[in-house]
Amino acid sequence: MANLVAVNNQQHQQLKVNPAKAELHGAELNLIPVVLSEFINVAVQYPIVLTKNGDTGEFVFTAMLGFETHENLFWQQGQWQGLYLPLQIQRQPFFLGENSNGEGSVVCIDLDSPMLANKSSEAQSQSLEVLYTSAGEESDYFNQAKQCLGQLLQGEHDNKLLIEQLKAFDLIQPLSFEITFVNQQKTRLNGLYTINQDKLAALTSEQVTKLHQQNLLQPIYTLITAMGQMYALIERKNQKLSA
Amino acid sequence: MNKSSNQQTQNNTLTKTVVVVGGGIAGWLTAGRLAAHHKAKSNTGLNVVLVESPNIPAIGVGEGTWPTMRSTLIALGISETDFIRECDASFKQGAKFAKWVDGKADDFYYHPLVLPQGFSKIDLAAYWLNKQGKEKSGSDKKSFSDEVCFQEAVCEQGLAPKTIRTAEFGDIANYAYHLDSGKFAVFLQKHCTEKLGVKHVLDDVTSVNSIANGDIGSVATKHNGNIAGELFVDCTGFSSLLLGKHYQVPFKSCADVLFIDTALAVQVPYEHENSPIASHTISTGQEAGWIWDIGLQHRRGVGYVYSSKHSSEEQARAVLASYVGDKINGLTVRKIPIVSGHREKFWQNNCVAVGLSAGFLEPLEASALVLVELSAQMISEQLPATREVMDIVAKRFNETFLYRWQKIIDFLKLHYILSKRTDNTFWTDNRDPSTIPQSLKDLMQLWQYRAPADHDFTSNNEVFPAASYQYVLYGMGFKSDYQHAPHLLDNWHFAEQQFAKNKKMIEQAVSALPTNRELLDKIRQYGFSTI
Repeated sequence: MANLVAVNNQQHQQLKVNPAKAELHGAELNLIPVVLSEFINVAVQYPIVLTKNGDTGEFVFTAMLGFETHENLFWQQGQWQGLYLPLQIQRQPFFLGENSNGEGSVVCIDLDSPMLANKSSEAQSQSLEVLYTSAGEESDYFNQAKQCLGQLLQGEHDNKLLIEQLKAFDLIQPLSFEITFVNQQKTRLNGLYTINQDKLAALTSEQVTKLHQQNLLQPIYTLITAMGQMYALIERKNQKLSA
Repeated sequence: MNKSSNQQTQNNTLTKTVVVVGGGIAGWLTAGRLAAHHKAKSNTGLNVVLVESPNIPAIGVGEGTWPTMRSTLIALGISETDFIRECDASFKQGAKFAKWVDGKADDFYYHPLVLPQGFSKIDLAAYWLNKQGKEKSGSDKKSFSDEVCFQEAVCEQGLAPKTIRTAEFGDIANYAYHLDSGKFAVFLQKHCTEKLGVKHVLDDVTSVNSIANGDIGSVATKHNGNIAGELFVDCTGFSSLLLGKHYQVPFKSCADVLFIDTALAVQVPYEHENSPIASHTISTGQEAGWIWDIGLQHRRGVGYVYSSKHSSEEQARAVLASYVGDKINGLTVRKIPIVSGHREKFWQNNCVAVGLSAGFLEPLEASALVLVELSAQMISEQLPATREVMDIVAKRFNETFLYRWQKIIDFLKLHYILSKRTDNTFWTDNRDPSTIPQSLKDLMQLWQYRAPADHDFTSNNEVFPAASYQYVLYGMGFKSDYQHAPHLLDNWHFAEQQFAKNKKMIEQAVSALPTNRELLDKIRQYGFSTI
C-alpha cells in the first residue's frame, strides 16, 4: 500500500528521488490502466483491452502485459524491456490527492516508494533528482512530474467520454478465448472486453460524425489495432516458456 | 350482474385487444409480457388494456422469486440496476430450512439454486449416501447440500451471488430475488405504461357483459363505460371476479394436504444500517407452522404461517414475538388468511385467471410469483390468434397448470412428511398417510431404492427439477438404499473428483464474492454494466 503525504517545500526540501526506478512499480503488473492521450504510444507494443474496476464495475482501458496476475512479460532481468512506459508508471512516486478543504487537488508523494533515496550512501548518487531547489523553488523534475499528473487527470475525463460513447452505441463486447501456449498450458481469458467491429461498421453516418467531432474515432481504431499486439504478447510468453 | 347482449362472436374473430382486470403484480406482469411480446406500442400490435380499481389495495404477498424472474425482467426490457434500486430488491440464493427435522438448534439444511456438482454427468447423491454409511463420527460428516453444491457456503457467509463486475442478469452463482411487492407493482406499472404501451384505466369494474356464446364481451366500468376485448385476464386477487364470481369455476381446496391457513406478517427494521443482509430465505419450523425471514435492502419481511387448527392466534403471536424479539413492540402485525388451493380450471371461454384469482399456497417455495410468470409467458407466447383456436389453447393451458399446481402441492408436502418433530400434532398430523397425495407416495416408494432423477419428472413443464427433490430429501435425512445395485456405484474416481471440485469452488467463491450488503450498496452507487 502506498503511504501518501502532501508534498511541501519545508518537509520535502531534502528529499531525493531516483526517476529511473519508476519502472519497479510495474514489475509485477499484468494490467496497467492507460489514458486516451497515450493510446498510440501504448499500441506500439501492448494490447489495449477494456477491463472492469473491481470496486465499481466501471470500464477501464488497460494495457495488457501478461496473462496471469503478477506476470509482466516486459519485465526481464530486473528491467523494463518495453519501448514505452505507461503514464501510470511514469508518474511514480507522485499522486494527486484531494485538498483537505475539499477544493482542488494537491500533489502527494508515496513515502514507501523504492524510488526515494533515504539511505545516506544512496543519497550521494548522481542520478537522483530533488523536488525543490536550494532556494525552495520547484525543480524541473518536479514540474515534469506535475505535468504527467495533469495528463492523467485530463485522461480520466477523456476516457470517461470515450467509454460513455462506446456504451451509448453498444460498441463494447466481451473478449473470451482460450490460449494454448507452447508448453500446452492453457489459459482462458475472462473479464476482458474490446470493440465490436461489426457494430462499429454498422453505425449510421450521423453516429460516425458524432464520434469524429469528439475526436473519438482515432482512439477507437487505435484500440482495434492494438488488439493485434495480443499475438506478439502470446509469442513473448512462448519465448519465455521455451527459454 | 350478467347482461346478455346480442353481439355475435365469429370463429374467425381476431384477438386484437386483451383486457387485464386488476393491477397487482400479476396484472402488470401479464400485461407487460403480452405488450412486450406482441408489440403493443406499434400500430399493428396487440392492444393491451389494464383496468384497475383505485380503491382496492394490493394484497402484496410474495416477496421471494425464482431465478425465472431474471428472464421475465429481460423479456420486459427492464434494467436490473433500476429494478434493484427501485424495488428495494436483494439477491436470494435459495432457502435455508431450520428446525424442520427435529427442531434442535443445529438442525438445518439448504435448498440452493445451483444444481449438484456434475449433475448432468453423475448421480452424486448415490455416492454421497454411500459415504454417509461408511464414515463413523458425526463430525466429519458434511450435509448433502454442502458437499455437492458450493452455494450453501456462500449463503452461510452472507455473500452475494456475483460481483459488481458481473454483467446485469449474469451470475457466478444462480440467484433469484427478494423484493418489496408494493414497490414492484408501482415499478411495473410505470414501465408497462411508459415503455411498453399498456393502456391504464383507473376505474371500478361494475359488471361483466356476456355475449351469445357465453364469452365475455366487455366489462362495464363506473366512469369509462364498457371496455371490450377478445380475451380477458382475471387478476382480481382472492375475489376472482371473472373466473370465480362470473363463471363460477369451483375452487379446489387442498387444506387436507397443506394445513397452513393463517399468516401473521411484520416488517422488521435492521438493527443498524450495516447489518448483514441474508442472501437466502430463512424458513424456521415452529410449533404449528414456520416463519419466513426475507432480507430486503432496508428492512426484513418476517411472517409466521400456521394452522389455526393447531394453534390459537394468541399463541401464534407469541411465537412470532419470540422470533422477532423485543423490537416487535411498536411494529404492526398484519393478519392474512390463507386459503390453500386453486380453481378447477384457469381458462374458461375467453377468460384466464392469473395470480391469486387462480389459487394460492403457503409461500414455502415462493411458488406464487413463479406461477404468475409462467402463466403470463404461456398466455403471451400461445396467444390464440382467433376465437376458433382459443379453446385449444385454453385446454392446453388448463392441463399444464393443473399439473404444475399438483406438483407444487406434492413438493410442499414433501417438506412436512420427512420431519421427525413430535412437539405438536401439527407435525404428526402432517405425516398421517391419509393427508399425503398418492402421487407423492408413489415417488417416495421409488426413492427408497434410488435418488430422484430427471425421468421421475416427465413433463417439459416441470416446476421443480429432480435436484430440488434431492436437496430436500437428503437435507432432511432420507436414505435411498443402493445395496441392491452396487454396480451403479462403479465410478468412484469421477465422483471423488466432483466432491473435490466442489470444495475448490467453495474456496474460490468465498474469496471472490463480496457480502450481499456490499454488492447492494455498490449497485446503488455505480450500477451494473449491461455486458
